Amino acid sequence: MKNAKIIYLIVISLFTLLLASCIPGSAQPIGGWAGTTVHDNTIYVGSRDGRVMAINASSEEMQWSYHVTEPSGGMGCGPAVVSAAITTPIVDGDFVYIGTYSGKVLALNTTARSQNPYLPEEPQDRYHEWETPIGTDARNNAIVADLVINDDVIYVSSSDGRVYSLRKDFGDQVKKSGILDEKHSKLWTSPVIEDDTLYVSTFDGHIYALSAETLELLEWSFKLEAGFASSPVICEDTDTMFLGSFDRHLYAVKIGSDVLEWRFPEEPAGNWFWASPVVNEGIVYAGCLDGTLYAIDAQTREKLWEFESKDQRGKPSSIVSPPVLIDNLLIAANEAGNVYVIDPETGEGERIKNRENGDKSTINDQIRASFCAHEGLVYIRGEHNRLYVVDIDKRKVSWDFSLSIEE
Amino acid sequence: MSFVEIWHLIIGNPILNVLIVLSHVLFGRFGLAIIALTIIVRLVSWPLNRRQLKSTKAMQDMQPKLQELQKKYGKNKQKLQQEMMKLYKEAGVNPLGCLWPMLIQFPIWIALYQAIMNALATTPEHLLNLARHLYSWEMVSQAIPLSSQFLGLDLGQTALQAGALGLLLAIIVGGTMWVQQKMTTAPSVDPRQESTQRMTTLMMPLMFGFFTLMFPSGLALYWAVSNIIGIVTQYFVTGGWGYLKFRSPFGQR
Repeated sequence: MKNAKIIYLIVISLFTLLLASCIPGSAQPIGGWAGTTVHDNTIYVGSRDGRVMAINASSEEMQWSYHVTEPSGGMGCGPAVVSAAITTPIVDGDFVYIGTYSGKVLALNTTARSQNPYLPEEPQDRYHEWETPIGTDARNNAIVADLVINDDVIYVSSSDGRVYSLRKDFGDQVKKSGILDEKHSKLWTSPVIEDDTLYVSTFDGHIYALSAETLELLEWSFKLEAGFASSPVICEDTDTMFLGSFDRHLYAVKIGSDVLEWRFPEEPAGNWFWASPVVNEGIVYAGCLDGTLYAIDAQTREKLWEFESKDQRGKPSSIVSPPVLIDNLLIAANEAGNVYVIDPETGEGERIKNRENGDKSTINDQIRASFCAHEGLVYIRGEHNRLYVVDIDKRKVSWDFSLSIEE
Repeated sequence: MSFVEIWHLIIGNPILNVLIVLSHVLFGRFGLAIIALTIIVRLVSWPLNRRQLKSTKAMQDMQPKLQELQKKYGKNKQKLQQEMMKLYKEAGVNPLGCLWPMLIQFPIWIALYQAIMNALATTPEHLLNLARHLYSWEMVSQAIPLSSQFLGLDLGQTALQAGALGLLLAIIVGGTMWVQQKMTTAPSVDPRQESTQRMTTLMMPLMFGFFTLMFPSGLALYWAVSNIIGIVTQYFVTGGWGYLKFRSPFGQR
């Protein structure tokens, strides 16, 4: 019977271990994939440990940081451990705006904080900073999608399935929409605005049009069988929006029309079109989680070219971040940490090499966050909490910066 | 190929995708899908379960003889152990028989547990991670992301966050686990072992009741359904409530 007891103890221990460890990553903090923004020679980025950071692009030194992390309940296997700054910072005037996983929108005064980096990590009224919880139960209203600013209003997609509008100057809530996705009760995609109308894609396969002023539903909406994985992107010339779906297709939907414009490809791709596409001069550039970047004619749906990104073993690696255009070049990055410079006309691409890490990949890190390009440089936040600046002309990593700060 | 990749290829991904298809077929109700998959897994693992239950039944039938041995050799532990092993051998019963099937089934339970956690995709990072494990079946594409609402519960939230309903779920999980354990745990003839068993029978349901409060309700639903199926099959296979009504002579002292 001694053996029986030992086996019984092993079973219990294994189960306890299993519960403690859960699935990979679930016991980790919600790091998010806040991207980068460059404004007035300053790089703004959300770190994986919940900070908004401002870094001087010339001196490569940190100007200030603001810790937004706070515990949001639940144990290792619960939904959320730590709520980080999950949206890409948006700069408008003297302020940087960010949404947090704990359901708050923050406005921080960039000038005041640059001049006094030791300002307390709480909004300062004297500098017109503010913090607004979203909805009645902000802790459960995680803000996952990037904020949208239009004139004096900030639009926020919330995990309670609603869109909120806030006054940019004081953060007061102006309006809120009804619940747009009853089935999932969450909105993880950003709205897009055109001509006083807000367009929102949902996990239950709807595209809704809302009045930007009242956030009331307008007459037109579009329904698809599968849910939408990405935020829509609008081509203003043709009033067409492009967005990816969980059914492994990219869709083109004409605003106001009930008929689908087109879907790409004919047969489902290898995985979801997770990242929002980029539209330029009648061409849609869409990255897929199967590792391929497609160039598609926005009018005809014709595939112009495709470019397969690889990892260090030569296998396809997911494209999670949207590509960006800079100086008539298309920059794409894959999860394996490779950055590519691609000719948008021909689709011929070149991987940026890095001899310092034995050329395993462009950066020795995973790339999931959206990145930005400015004056020949691309600013990328890696999943190991590091900022990388890639010089496109010189085809090399110019410098990098740790976003981890010891308390 | 790493162990993790093989694990997902052979066990993890099939269970996850079947769970998602079931959710689509069962009116988009993920809760129903969890119940259905738990039943399917129980059916598939029935041969192992049956062996386990038979072993339990055999142990149950041997109790009077074991008590006799206890009375006879109570003061001589070594002799008692020898006689007990002899008795097990004569009856063709392996006292570990009810534990090995449990160990063999363990990978299936882990995969089921992972499938529920993966499919719920409660955070954006989990949702992105889910993309790596899905088949290109149309039904899977149309079902994603899953709705986590079921009977007033958000299966992605912890029972603690769900309030009164969550508390009820914790009581059901703990209660059903206690009943199942009482039905299957043969009382020991050794007073010290009996005391340990009693502690375990009480601690496990309490632990799982506590876990229910702290983990997503979808997992708690799976535990509750699994326990209830266990009780029902145990009842019909062994022809009753097993040791639930059994009173140990040592408990009467």
